[in-house]
Amino acid sequence: MASSLRTNPANTPPPPPSPAIDVRGVTVAYTNGHVALRDATFSLDGGTICGLVGVNGSGKSTLFKAIMGFVKPAAGSVRINGQPVGAAHKKASVAYVPQSEDVDWAFPVSVWDVVLMGRYGAMNLLRIPRQSDKRLAAEALEQVGVADLRSRQIGELSGGQRKRVFLARALAQQAKIILLDEPFTGVDVQTEEAIIALLDRMRDQGCTMLVSTHNLGSVPRFCDRVVIINRTVVAAGPTATTFTRDNLALAFGGALRRLRVDHTDVPGATSHELTVLTDDEGALILGDDGLPPPRTTPDRPAPTAPPGAGA
Amino acid sequence: MIDALLQPLQSEFMLKAIGVSALIGLTCAALSCFVTLKGWSLMGDALSHAVVPGVAIAYAAKLPFALGAFASGMLAAGVMGFVKDRTRLREDAVIGIVFTTFFALGVLLISLYPSNINLKTIVFGNILGIADADIVQVLIISAVTLAVLAFKWKDLVIFLFDPSHARAVGLPTRFLHALLLTLLAATAVASLQAVGACLVVAMLVTPGATAYLLTDRFGAMMLIAMTVGTLTAAVGAYASYFLNGSTGGCIVVLQTGVFAVTLAVAPKHGLITAHRSRVVAGRAAPALSGGAA
Ligand SMILES: Nc1ncnc2c1ncn2[C@@H]1O[C@H](COP(=O)(O)OP(=O)(O)O)[C@@H](O)[C@H]1O
Ligand SMILES: [Mg+2]
Repeated sequence: MASSLRTNPANTPPPPPSPAIDVRGVTVAYTNGHVALRDATFSLDGGTICGLVGVNGSGKSTLFKAIMGFVKPAAGSVRINGQPVGAAHKKASVAYVPQSEDVDWAFPVSVWDVVLMGRYGAMNLLRIPRQSDKRLAAEALEQVGVADLRSRQIGELSGGQRKRVFLARALAQQAKIILLDEPFTGVDVQTEEAIIALLDRMRDQGCTMLVSTHNLGSVPRFCDRVVIINRTVVAAGPTATTFTRDNLALAFGGALRRLRVDHTDVPGATSHELTVLTDDEGALILGDDGLPPPRTTPDRPAPTAPPGAGA
Repeated sequence: MIDALLQPLQSEFMLKAIGVSALIGLTCAALSCFVTLKGWSLMGDALSHAVVPGVAIAYAAKLPFALGAFASGMLAAGVMGFVKDRTRLREDAVIGIVFTTFFALGVLLISLYPSNINLKTIVFGNILGIADADIVQVLIISAVTLAVLAFKWKDLVIFLFDPSHARAVGLPTRFLHALLLTLLAATAVASLQAVGACLVVAMLVTPGATAYLLTDRFGAMMLIAMTVGTLTAAVGAYASYFLNGSTGGCIVVLQTGVFAVTLAVAPKHGLITAHRSRVVAGRAAPALSGGAA
């Protein structure tokens, strides 16, 4: 098939673009012998927001580390835009927003320093920022709404502000692929709304985002796709068909709080049974079909407070 | 009186001792900012002990001492990395085992094959008796270390702060890790002559720790640390002339003194400020509840 196409170049359709992230059969074992991921496979195309859910210790951060090239898979491969991870990172094509526990908040750097770090890949060897680098960093700070905090030491910020600063660094990097490790943990609802709005905008610009979260309730609201993991990929695909009660049960087992509410308790409910699943944070409410509610974006009702205000 | 105070500055060997000490103080202090933020104090201590067998062998073989010391330090670092990556032992246990083994080996070698260095010089330093050839080695090491830091400090800061991001913007994290380790070993070698294997770690930690209490910006931290490190080393060497005591001891006691004062009075991160804000908060709390009642 492929060879017959090659002999007939006039009819060759353009090759399908490589997936933005392609994880194939990845197994990761730590030096202490613990196998954190086994045979994990999924792939993401450009312009997608993908949720990554699983219990604590299910390997979410490990998966990020494999994509960042920090742990070498014992088996399998990770490709970014069709390239091996090393080559992709040399071009600064992936931005990474670490989980809060991984950051040394007492480190002597200011908000401005951190956001400028997003531009390092583009700077000369002495890392002296050009005017354009400063402009991009300033714009990124504006976009996440913390421009007034630029000279603060990073430890002097609230949880929400801290997340915004690291998000600004990712924006300043201008990467088309962004990995976010638990961006909603420890932030207020307003910041969560602002982050989701920002991710939506980035998706419309063609960015691909992989977002790990325990906030199951908001996954159907902003994720086009989900990857559900429990030391391997349990399910991966479009949110509407993948983020189901049955798949979540597979990944979370007894780790989820599951409340059943009889419809007679809920005025106006039409379903026979509601399932409320909660991991750590926002609860997920499923109807009797066990399927997530349909996506509401882009016409999601506006949050009561203006987006981006305060934190 | 003035004459007496200026007297050490008239003798060539004292001038040399003060100058070399200051240079070593400067180099160690520049590196100390990275050591304190990376949590590598123990690693600094380990490397400064692990260089000893190399020094013994270099002197016996009539090679430059810095060469032997550096090779020995890097070998120790390599062994530590190798063992750590392959066992479930914690890093500090691995470091503890490896560096004491190297140090013991060095002590043994020196006692078995006495040469023109003695154990006391290596362990406690002897800047007043430093040979010109050794001064040249110290000069080269310091110059190279400071030059590398001047070019690479921003990359190293990103690597310390957020290795994942360093990788994401295309920085070679493995290389930066190795570079920092190499600079640490080189600096440990250079300081051996001034303060000796036992006290090198003080010069590699205290100035950085002092500066960290005084500022929230890395650039300022470097400048403060280098100023403190240089001045304390020079003044310490000068004072040891009058006290007729150990130069290394003088320098380190001085550095610790500066640290202690800073710890007490630092405007933002000092103990007195912390105490005051606790007191203020304690006073405010009852006032608030009183107002509500
Ligand atoms: N550096 C490490 N060495 C050994 N085990 C690790 C290391 N990092 C993580 N693990 C283990 O791997 C598993 C997956 O961890 P992680 O990927 O951090 O999970 P998650 O982010 O989903 O909570 C956990 O059981 C954790 O204890
Ligand atoms: Mg995690």
